[in-house]
Amino acid sequence: MMMRPQKRRLKNLVAEADQFRRRALLGFAAVLLTLGGLAAWYFKLQVVDHAEYATRAEANRIKPRPIVPGRGLIYDRKGRILADNVPAFRLDVVPDKAGDIKRLLAELGKIVALTPDDIAAFEADRKAHRSFRPVTLRLRVSDEEAARFAVDRWRFPGVELVPYLNRRYPYGDMFSQIIGYVGRIDEKDLLTMGETNAVLTHIGKTGVERYYEEALRGKIGFERVETNVEGRAMRQLGVQPATPGADLRLSVDLDLQQAMVAAFGDLDGSAVAIDPRSGEILAMVSLPGYDPNLFVNGISHADYKALIDNPSRPLFNRNVLGGGPPGSTVKPLIALAGLDSGLRTPEFKVFSTGEFHIPGQRGRGWRDAHGGSGWTDLRKSIAASVNFYYYKLAYEMGIERFDRYMQKYGFGAPTGIDLVGERAGAVPSPQDKAKHSKEPWYPGETVNAGIGQGSWVATTLQLVRGTAAIADGGQLRRPHLVAARRDGYQSPWTPLPQPEPVRITENPANLRAVQEGMMGTMLPGGTGAAMGRGAPYAMAGKTGTAQKISRKGNVSFNPHLLPYHLRHQALFVGYAPADHPTIAVAVSVEHGGYGGTTAGPIARKIFDAWLLGKMPEPDPDAIPVAPPVAPAVAGAGVTPAVALQADPAR
Amino acid sequence: MNVILRWLSDLVARIVRTLDWPLCLALLALMVISLMVQYSANGSLRPVLAQGARFAVGIAAMWALSRLPAMRLRSWTPAIFALSLLPLIAVLFIGTGKHGHHWIDLKVFYFQPSELLKLSLPMMLAWYLHREPLPPRFHVVVIAGLMIALPTVLILLQPDFGTGMLVAVSGVFVLFLAGLSWWWISAAAAGVAAVAPLAWFWWLKPYQKDRVLTFLNPESDPLGTGWNIIQSKIAVGSGGWVGKGWGQGSQSRLDYLPEHTTDFIFAVLSEEFGWVGVAVVLALYLFVIGRCLWIAAQARDTYSRVLAGALGLAMFVYVIVNGGMVSGLLPVVGVPMPLLSYGGTSAVSLLAGLGVVMAVRAHKPMHVR
Repeated sequence: MMMRPQKRRLKNLVAEADQFRRRALLGFAAVLLTLGGLAAWYFKLQVVDHAEYATRAEANRIKPRPIVPGRGLIYDRKGRILADNVPAFRLDVVPDKAGDIKRLLAELGKIVALTPDDIAAFEADRKAHRSFRPVTLRLRVSDEEAARFAVDRWRFPGVELVPYLNRRYPYGDMFSQIIGYVGRIDEKDLLTMGETNAVLTHIGKTGVERYYEEALRGKIGFERVETNVEGRAMRQLGVQPATPGADLRLSVDLDLQQAMVAAFGDLDGSAVAIDPRSGEILAMVSLPGYDPNLFVNGISHADYKALIDNPSRPLFNRNVLGGGPPGSTVKPLIALAGLDSGLRTPEFKVFSTGEFHIPGQRGRGWRDAHGGSGWTDLRKSIAASVNFYYYKLAYEMGIERFDRYMQKYGFGAPTGIDLVGERAGAVPSPQDKAKHSKEPWYPGETVNAGIGQGSWVATTLQLVRGTAAIADGGQLRRPHLVAARRDGYQSPWTPLPQPEPVRITENPANLRAVQEGMMGTMLPGGTGAAMGRGAPYAMAGKTGTAQKISRKGNVSFNPHLLPYHLRHQALFVGYAPADHPTIAVAVSVEHGGYGGTTAGPIARKIFDAWLLGKMPEPDPDAIPVAPPVAPAVAGAGVTPAVALQADPAR
Repeated sequence: MNVILRWLSDLVARIVRTLDWPLCLALLALMVISLMVQYSANGSLRPVLAQGARFAVGIAAMWALSRLPAMRLRSWTPAIFALSLLPLIAVLFIGTGKHGHHWIDLKVFYFQPSELLKLSLPMMLAWYLHREPLPPRFHVVVIAGLMIALPTVLILLQPDFGTGMLVAVSGVFVLFLAGLSWWWISAAAAGVAAVAPLAWFWWLKPYQKDRVLTFLNPESDPLGTGWNIIQSKIAVGSGGWVGKGWGQGSQSRLDYLPEHTTDFIFAVLSEEFGWVGVAVVLALYLFVIGRCLWIAAQARDTYSRVLAGALGLAMFVYVIVNGGMVSGLLPVVGVPMPLLSYGGTSAVSLLAGLGVVMAVRAHKPMHVR
């Protein structure tokens, strides 16, 4: 400013004004051109590409929101609730909106109890989900915690308290092996069920909950809501309601189930009771059980470890997944095979010397623990469980024919029960042996198979099914747990269709002889005489003992003298009343010694409970069972427990 | 009675004598549109009243400045410039802001010193060039360049890239209108092109780089930094020919549109009033700018000419930068839409600048010193 140009040029005012006008005109032209260009660009966005942006704006505005259906309820055969839904709250976090997750968890942990398990599950979930989807942090938030959270909610953007229905099993471990449990949906489940089903949060993991998952789940509905950028619904525009899950009625009877558990006392083992006329399972226990409620909201590591490390394997349903040699309990069916094959007649007598020799072989034979029984016909062979009779029969029949009959009676194949993962079991067969052994099939193995030993694998479910077939005139039926379903509370119960029974024999006289043999078991002179004493009804049965260790040669031992873990499995199959059976059972007691002394009395208690209504004395040490409470909230699928009008076939 | 009426109308006529009516009507139209869109974007009346109050202050400033003869303003110019630099230096030490030191907290309101420079820098340059024969010679351009650089660097130190550039550009416009030779203009353009990559590595903050990168490819981070651009384009595009109607813009009402009362207010207008609304507003801006240039062309002295012209062109920069940003044509820079965006400082400084332009029209000296 202080600078004075050395050569001061005169200002040419007219020229400067002209110069300015030229520049101003130029500037205005540029402005006009640029603003015109901007208007053209807006024209392209707003008019030319309008449809595209309008669609995106609508997609922004209107969001389909899933409506979660209530899971179907599960009742026992008399309409008592075995699995219901209880309203609860959970905490969901949208990671995108929650900001710093570490800090959030620390802050939230001061208000709501978060276990390391919760946090670990949340972190795993968070990685599996896209970050704008809500991830559940904590289920079953208590009322107190919910209230505390509500006060401080503004501090936690992206965290929401969401109402949901929590599965509850009011009878705890009593039905654990039947109903199973639901658990949190994991990544694998999502692959099979599709991502939209993630909102269900829970899926049946085992038992009836899993087998009938699709029916129980129902169908997710959708509502179209106008949402703001935070995803909060401003108003509803349309709705496609959810279809609540179907309710299921089991054929299982709560009282009988309780009686069956009580009958075992402190013993481990399993038992199945079915109605021979329909294949309906009346009760089924595998002891010890577990509390399915532990799994619903994610089982803690400590609880899970305790279940897994328990040598008695509480998570394992022995009736369906277990199995072993059926021992003598399979003899009535082998006897039937003998009759149907024409190798035996009911009156044909075999002289039991107490030691069986394969013709042409010398040396040690197969000895009978009871010693020689003398002349033995078919009825006596069953009632007194004469091994000699069956060694000889099996040998004469030959393994091929033997297997054909056993397969006809349902062994070596799943029964088709409505549970997942049923074990097929196996009948002793040369083909199977050839698969994993270079040794040939020895005739002695056929002999062993005749008394239910050797490479036999039969589940209690297969045994009770075969026994029921004997009881019900030779009709082999599919054992099943679920009798009926209803779709919606107003709908009637519709029975689930069952496959036609398969006839296992064409000759009623043969069947009658076998039945008489089984009745003899329970009479004086039979192996089950002690348990049959004093019953006001006639019963039929067969005891058995499955060996855990193979007998070495002719050494026989008293199973009660063996170490506990090597003791035999005590077995019993039977039905009652003998003349027109309404219940068939198979009982397996682990480490139980002889079938007649441990498994038999349990079966008797089950019969008494079902036929006489004789319920066990309540165990004073037992944890009191909470009666099911009708949920207070009316919602899809939440239906109060009511007695059913029609009492199912009983 | 008649006497009183005449006296009153005389008084009013004297009071409003210095105002330029065409300019006033265009501005009034813009303000009405602004308040309407603000009402829709806020969903309540309170912010609209607050904005109205700011407009009132701005109009008062405009009126006051329009009464000030350009001659007197010119003689005060060096002092005004020097004074306006003081808070600019002070803000570096006592300023507050989200990404730097932008505002001085005056307890009553936040004061943004850089806004002052949008007015005082063109004034200073006009003052300087007025004294020199035009077109400016080499050393004059260099000195003028230094005058531009001083406040620009101070603003960049805050750091505030957007305002810094706007202030610099308002100075450059003065030079352009004063007849800066094309050689200079092309050399400067080349220089900017060369410096841009250097600025990328040295000056730009990560958040600024983010803005540029997402501008180049907004879909790369649709939920993060690209969100604003995408949602704004959706708002604009979904407007169609005539828009969704006043208060019916789902993008802004449901909060999908970020900053929808300030930087992105033009998207709200586009959504609710469509292309017709956009065209009307752009036409109003064009008229205001054109009127400024017209008034400048009518002025009798260099100071008034280049100052009025530069102030008009500066407004054009706002419109094009904001309009381009909202529609995804330019990167997101915190530049408000003149008069439409919510906020006091920019509206008041803009109206004050137009007051100066009106003064140029109202006070034409009979002969030029």
